[in-house]
Amino acid sequence: MKRLLVLCLLLLSFPNLSPAQEAENLYYKVRNKLLSVSDYIADVRIKLDVTFMKVPPLKGKLYFKSPDKMKLERNGGISILPKNSYNLTLSNLLPPGKVTVIDGGYGTFMQRKVHIIKVIPSSDTGDIVLTKISIDEANLLVLHTETTTRDNGTINMDLQFGRYINYALPDRVTFFINLKDYKLPKGVTMDYTAADDDMMKKAKGAKVKKGKVQIDYLDYKMNTGLSDDFFKEKRQ
Amino acid sequence: MIRLLRIELYKIFHRPRTYISFAITAAIAFVIQLAMLADGKSFVGFALQGVSEQFDIKGNVLNGYLITYLILQTLLIHIPLLVALVAGDALAGEANIGTLRLLLTKPVTRPQLVLIKFTASVVYAMLLLLWLAVVALGLSVLLFGTGDMISLKSDAFVMLLKDDVLWRYFAAFAFAGLAMMCVASLALLLSVFADNSIGPIISTMGIIIVLTIFSTLQLPIFDTISPYLFTTHMIGWKGFFDSPVPYTSITHSAVILLIYTFAFVATAIIVFNKKDIQS
Repeated sequence: MKRLLVLCLLLLSFPNLSPAQEAENLYYKVRNKLLSVSDYIADVRIKLDVTFMKVPPLKGKLYFKSPDKMKLERNGGISILPKNSYNLTLSNLLPPGKVTVIDGGYGTFMQRKVHIIKVIPSSDTGDIVLTKISIDEANLLVLHTETTTRDNGTINMDLQFGRYINYALPDRVTFFINLKDYKLPKGVTMDYTAADDDMMKKAKGAKVKKGKVQIDYLDYKMNTGLSDDFFKEKRQ
Repeated sequence: MIRLLRIELYKIFHRPRTYISFAITAAIAFVIQLAMLADGKSFVGFALQGVSEQFDIKGNVLNGYLITYLILQTLLIHIPLLVALVAGDALAGEANIGTLRLLLTKPVTRPQLVLIKFTASVVYAMLLLLWLAVVALGLSVLLFGTGDMISLKSDAFVMLLKDDVLWRYFAAFAFAGLAMMCVASLALLLSVFADNSIGPIISTMGIIIVLTIFSTLQLPIFDTISPYLFTTHMIGWKGFFDSPVPYTSITHSAVILLIYTFAFVATAIIVFNKKDIQS
């Protein structure tokens, strides 16, 4: 009888969390882990897989400062990133302000069990309306996000981790973005028509115009103290 | 033959008109470079409108390689006009000033004379292209620097890395040489029929302009004939700025240009052989 009483007291002493509270706790844990890196400089290789773009893999340096500053430098070369790419950083998807977290249950992503949560920013002025995040609970890592934006459609992002798992910094990030059609008048570009056949077939074959941008992070330098001025555009 | 060729080249390069062509080529390049220096940003903004709606493009887009590409667009109309100025004058000019009969009294056959005139015109066209390469590529790189190059097509945005561009320009200029050789052969053929040089020069330009319209306009009726027009293949140099380079298409275009050149020169020889030279 005594034993039963002790057991009941022990069970009552642990807080019985609801799924919503559990999801919120998980969200804050992940966010705190991400905030441990305030800025980084990374050597990156970017691959664009877009129907109307023929761009070779680009190597460069990606500068990031939490929460939303991002800059790509290519040693004097041209850099191309999806529009408003700062919206696509994890820190921005997990904003520091007040948010509403909804539990989405458990699921599987890349054969790994994930906890799915939905995050709604409290401020309704930003571009992001809702973010669905798949989290590896054991390592506190975001493996996949599905972000609904006001102006840029739905953006999916896959993250793969390796060497920098302790800082929640990915080795590879893949964005899947929706694209509008691209067309210029032939009279303006004066195409050498014989060269366009393959691309025309590819573009016509694709029912939904989707693009894929893959960023491989080759090396990170974290918390270097990047200033805000560094991200300001230089006037050319 | 070599001596006669030297004489022909001497005649070409001792005419002020020849140097006007070089001056015009330089002026075209300078005007485009000046325009780009003054308001290149607006041009880039307009050209990249479709892409920059969806992507942030940063860096030195307006570099020497892009400017040279813009200048090379003149290969379609302006440079052929300057080539026709000399090639169209090759035989008709001699007939106009009454030296053709005198020329044919020399120990040279009529086909040889046509071939010498053609070779001299081609040498001139090649030197004009070389000059274009110097003022367009050389000066643009000097003024705007080098960098990754963006080439726009109606359905694609092509970006080439800085280290992968220069060889494409050499190849493009070599291909442009073939195209200008074809223009020179056409002007020479028309020159056989005329007794003054204005006719062949204007006719050459007229043919090129009309056929370019056929090649460029996307109408079904023109689609049937455009693959057979030499003007369609004259822009084959653009293929070197695609990725991957469509070597099969470029070779096909080069072969067609060579066939046209051969046909024009052969016809010129046949007609000139039968022509009653009266002046």
